[in-house]
Amino acid sequence: MRLGPQPGEEIDRERSFTFRWNGADVQAYEGDTIVSALAASGRRVFSRSYKYHRPRGLLTASYHDPGCFFQVGDEPNVRGAHRLAEPGLDVRSQNTWPSLEFDVKAVNQLVGRFLGPGFYYKTFIKPQRLWPLYEQVLQRFVHAGHVSADTPRVAVDKRHAHPDVLVAGGGPAGLAAAVAAAQAGARVMLIEEEHRLGGHLRWGDATDLAALAELRDLVAATPGIEVHVNAVVSGRYDGNWTAVVLRDLPSGLPGGTRVEQLIKARAKVLVVAPGLIERPYVFAGNDVPGVMLSTAVRRLIRLHAVKPGERAVVLAANADGDAAVADLRQAGVEVARVLDARAGQDILRVRGRKGVQAVQAADGTTTECDLLVTATGWTAPASLLSMAGDRPAYDPRAARFFPSSLPEDVLATGGLAGDGSLDQLIAHAQATGREAARRAARLRREWQAAVPTRGHANGALLAGHRLAGHGLADHKLADDPLLADDGPVAIPELPVDEHPELFRARTHGIVDYCEDVSSKDLIAAVREGYDSIELAKRYTTATMGPTQGKIELVNAIATVAEATGRTIAETGTTTWRPPYAPVTLGALAGRPLEPVRYSPMQPWHEAHHASPLIAGAWIRPDHYGDPAAEVRNVRSKVGIIDVTPIGKLDLRGPDVPRLLNLVYVNKWSKLDIGRVRYGVMCTEDGVVFDDGVTGRLGPEHYLMSTTSSGASAVWEWLENVLQTMHPDWQVHITPVTTAYASINVAGPAARDLIGRVTRGVDLANEAFGYMEVRTGQVAGVDESVLWRIGFTGELSYELHVPAAYGLHVWETLMDRGRDLGVAPFGVEAQRILRLEKGHLIVGQDTDGLTRGFSAGLDWAIKLDKADFLGKPELAWQHDVENGSGSRLVGLQPEDGSLVPPEASQIVDGPRIVGRVTSSRMSPTLGRSICLAQVEAALAAPGTRVTVRLPGGRLVGARVTEHLAHVDPEGSRLRV
Amino acid sequence: MVARSPIRPASPVRVEGGWEVSGCRSDAPLSIADHTPLAKVHLRAAWNGAMAKALGVPFGRAGRESPGPDGREGAWLVVGSGPGEWYVLAPPGAAAVVADWLGQLAADSAGGEFVSVVDLTHGRALMRVTGRDAAELLARLCGADLHDDMAPDGAALRSAVAGVATDIIRDDRAGAASYLLHCERSSGQYLFDALVSAGESLGIGVDGFRLPGI
Repeated sequence: MRLGPQPGEEIDRERSFTFRWNGADVQAYEGDTIVSALAASGRRVFSRSYKYHRPRGLLTASYHDPGCFFQVGDEPNVRGAHRLAEPGLDVRSQNTWPSLEFDVKAVNQLVGRFLGPGFYYKTFIKPQRLWPLYEQVLQRFVHAGHVSADTPRVAVDKRHAHPDVLVAGGGPAGLAAAVAAAQAGARVMLIEEEHRLGGHLRWGDATDLAALAELRDLVAATPGIEVHVNAVVSGRYDGNWTAVVLRDLPSGLPGGTRVEQLIKARAKVLVVAPGLIERPYVFAGNDVPGVMLSTAVRRLIRLHAVKPGERAVVLAANADGDAAVADLRQAGVEVARVLDARAGQDILRVRGRKGVQAVQAADGTTTECDLLVTATGWTAPASLLSMAGDRPAYDPRAARFFPSSLPEDVLATGGLAGDGSLDQLIAHAQATGREAARRAARLRREWQAAVPTRGHANGALLAGHRLAGHGLADHKLADDPLLADDGPVAIPELPVDEHPELFRARTHGIVDYCEDVSSKDLIAAVREGYDSIELAKRYTTATMGPTQGKIELVNAIATVAEATGRTIAETGTTTWRPPYAPVTLGALAGRPLEPVRYSPMQPWHEAHHASPLIAGAWIRPDHYGDPAAEVRNVRSKVGIIDVTPIGKLDLRGPDVPRLLNLVYVNKWSKLDIGRVRYGVMCTEDGVVFDDGVTGRLGPEHYLMSTTSSGASAVWEWLENVLQTMHPDWQVHITPVTTAYASINVAGPAARDLIGRVTRGVDLANEAFGYMEVRTGQVAGVDESVLWRIGFTGELSYELHVPAAYGLHVWETLMDRGRDLGVAPFGVEAQRILRLEKGHLIVGQDTDGLTRGFSAGLDWAIKLDKADFLGKPELAWQHDVENGSGSRLVGLQPEDGSLVPPEASQIVDGPRIVGRVTSSRMSPTLGRSICLAQVEAALAAPGTRVTVRLPGGRLVGARVTEHLAHVDPEGSRLRV
Repeated sequence: MVARSPIRPASPVRVEGGWEVSGCRSDAPLSIADHTPLAKVHLRAAWNGAMAKALGVPFGRAGRESPGPDGREGAWLVVGSGPGEWYVLAPPGAAAVVADWLGQLAADSAGGEFVSVVDLTHGRALMRVTGRDAAELLARLCGADLHDDMAPDGAALRSAVAGVATDIIRDDRAGAASYLLHCERSSGQYLFDALVSAGESLGIGVDGFRLPGI
């Protein structure tokens, strides 16, 4: 029933609308939560419990209310006592069948004795063949909503923030701390979980409302405070990295889907001011609809003008219980009886199933009523403090936990720190805020002094130089408002009020409402041997449900303590871990950030329907429709391929040859200007790491190429050598992989085509031979580099042109080579061509264990060099192992039409003696060709080996004389 | 023959300084513009040697001179991008002049020192984000603290923006916060798109490139 206007109410009676609840219309006002509107309409049952499907109603009327999880449209598990009602919402109860009012699954209560904690460890095990059936049955009873696979999605950007002070909690203490910190010069971020600032003041009396208005006005008027309501500090990590989740943001999607946003806030100081969470009382029938906490009834009455019942019994152990009595009377609820726990009064049980009908007190009397209100104590939500390393200590005088040892960058205020009058709480919070600002300022000064971006560290370099100025004078430390540090701020002590320790009546009841775990269950678990709170938690799942212990943990601890004979302090707590509250996967994912790399010629490839290949972050053309035709065109005419992703490093300095000698297995001291050499790098264990060619462009200028996947690894490798092994060597390395667009022109007509577009380079074979490099003008582009190298086995030139002209050069080649039959070829054709030529690919034909000699690189490895990386291992492989181990060989299946899949095993009876590393059908030879790693004893040319195909079929293959299947003498590329 | 940025220019497309650029105009309070045509010359030298002293711009800062030492229209921005590493950003086509100037400076001031100069004009994609919400936009893609007290006008740092290693230079223009961002060329389109997508809710507008560009 809706009451008349209440001072401080948060509904707007001018804005009325309807939404649907289980198919029926419900009237609401703007400002109503879903549940307050349902309660105003007289409804009391909102859900069914997890295991036993007992009717559940409103308990806390807050975000953590365990009886109010709904399906709202396509969104499951919506906190109905927190989510604001909106016009047209379609709200449904979850996991009930066929209806909330009549739920067949309530039959579980009849077999409740078989569904005790851990029942799934003892049942649904045999016979094993029925496991699929058990799965289906259990699935029907899982308590949750549903998400459609067709749910439209939208990416929500995360955001980084760097507040000086982050205040978690927007009640009176949080507000006061935020204002004080901001007034002391700090950048403040204030986070409040509810829809409005104010905490418990919102449903307080006239004095509370006046204080609330003043605090809100102060926050609004104080610059430097960023406020977020309906947001939560979800976790605190090392260095005060905190996850802040903003809830219920509009998505712009149809159906009113809400989204969440994650703020990654690196706070210098965290102030935790979450207030206190009221704790339920454990007794028989404590989950019957109509049993509510004092804060629930006060919220309903004062915020939403909802009459919570007609006739109430109140169990009060504190002033909030007394205030609830006053509010109930003011709302016209008949308060039939007040049981004062401070005077030793208690309740025994509630009678009723779908609603409270009567309350039996401990003195044996029974009072008929439809509402039972309990005010039996408070729980300190110390999660963030625990995440900061604190181990809260239990104070039996106050019947709750308090922080014990906080790190330097975390402070606590408000109810977490103590009790007292509103003035005392605010004074404590203000001092806390000022102290937080002081500590943040100290940290800020340290960071500012350390970072080079403020220009102080090297100020001496600036004097007198004309390029020195850029506003440096505007940012002196003297301008910093946080400069002054007069020493720690004295924070007054807060008194701690005595409170009776009330956890469980003489009867048993529900401890964890979400998980349907009773005090009996916990005691039984202890009896079974799960006698610590951590074990009992995991065995019974108490505190593991959606509320994550916020309203049930202390009662669970008290029950376990009771069962073990220990004190609550001795029993201790479980460990709070992030997230403090549920967070959507969408918020955690944010916008997908998956870097993609493109060559300058990518627009041409797309326009010509290249099939894309994802190679790491690169998008490369795999083929243009027919890889075999592309191969044939390269062998007979001329093809061009975009090889821009090939790693390229610019090396300068007098000590480059020494570096090359150290990192490559071959010799580099005598490389003339204009010459190119192939090199292989091995790691210190002799394993092949990378290969490529390096050319000398000038006296102290070299250009190194690497594999495309190895580009950054080789750069790191070289820098590691220079920085750690030879910091005395004068070498500068600059990655220029994408400074050049790289094009390989290959085929018998390659020289003709290059000749049509090149100026300043004599292309005759005698003047520009194989494994040489020149610079000149290509297609009008100066400073182009031309290598004469060959991966395909044909006459070929690799062009490296300044990248911004890459597309122009490519288009020019295609245009000028039309009559020569020029055509593009892609990565697949290149792989076939190089396989025909027997060129290995590091990482394809080698693996993490393949040492140099096993890769067939005998000719390259110069063991007579003084030293190089990997030499000791390679010398061992050569001298001691003496031909054992594996070898890279060319292989041709006896059936030339059969192409063994790569990685096919090579077997000798039951033994695996090798594997196929590369395998393709050769368009040039019209038969299949392979490279393989085999045991050295099988590596002699002509040896017959057995290849095991997937599926088990065994086929024969022969080791070829050379790795190359086509032109092993290399005559085609030396023309 | 026209040079092309890795970032597709928004229409209308025209040629400026030999580069294909966007000729569009945006008066949005937050804008992004492709500035890849700028000359970008990379210098390596000892972080505390004679060349560093001669340049006078320390690691973490950028020094602006307008006009540059060549006297032509447009400024030069010398950026202390890393310990012993500098970039000089200059108007399109000035790379050779910049390289010569650096070479001369090295010869005059740091004769015995090991110095190398590499023209990376073609190797870097570069864009400028300008507006009151520029730092807010970057905060969506970059974890570095860009508040005025940590990264004031003239700050130079290297961080990850949208997952790409990016140099960030704060270079305020006409009183508005402005950041030059550059990354290796092949990621330029991706980075530009990420900034535009993240800036949609801030009303970002794509602006064109106009000489001298800096």
